[in-house]
Amino acid sequence: MLILTRKLGEVIRIGDQVAVRVLEIRGNQVRLGVEAPTEVRIYREEIYRAIRRENEDAVITERGRIDEATAIWQSQREKP
Amino acid sequence: MAEPAREAVTEPETIRVESARFGVYEVPADRVLTLPDGLVGLPDARRFALLEPTSPGAPFRFMICIDQPDLGFVVCDPEAFLPGYRARLPKSAGATRDDTAVLTLVTVPANPREMTANLMAPLVIECGSRAGRQFVCDAADLSTRHPLFSPASPQAPQPSE
Repeated sequence: MLILTRKLGEVIRIGDQVAVRVLEIRGNQVRLGVEAPTEVRIYREEIYRAIRRENEDAVITERGRIDEATAIWQSQREKP
Repeated sequence: MAEPAREAVTEPETIRVESARFGVYEVPADRVLTLPDGLVGLPDARRFALLEPTSPGAPFRFMICIDQPDLGFVVCDPEAFLPGYRARLPKSAGATRDDTAVLTLVTVPANPREMTANLMAPLVIECGSRAGRQFVCDAADLSTRHPLFSPASPQAPQPSE
């Protein structure tokens, strides 16, 4: 892993299009400003992990799962 | 520029998806969704065949990945369960525009009654081009595991298998 030290207000550039600036340091929190093209997706790590995990969990292994889902939806709908 | 001659009646082009896991599907080319960035964590899953709803009026559809045909998902129309959901997404999602469709991935656990929808990361698709992306709503109070059905009440026993 590349490790760099930056002071408040200083910037790290990643390639030609991405810049990360240290905006504020308060206690154990650091505020970062990220400039990047809109097509670059920027996520906080824990959000990225949660979505990735959910996508993996959403992969179905049998076609029958969708019929079960539909049957439950229909039975709930018929309830008064 | 002269176009090459075409037959007067053209059959709609179909895409054939052969999956060892799910079987063979012939899908009209205009039912193919493209997610140029793939799904989060699955960047190579870019082209999907979106099948018809499982039964008329049902909110669920089967979505099979053309690039990796053993990769299949259940997607649903979130508005069928949560009216007003699209309006809750950040403006930057572009989800409230008339020419966009929103689908959410559904996770079906061992007990399908506990299935959930990923409201935090919907698929936002431009209807004209059928291209879209998985939009991640960081900071919004939207769950990756929103239950679609209320838990069965203990007074109403489930029919036995």
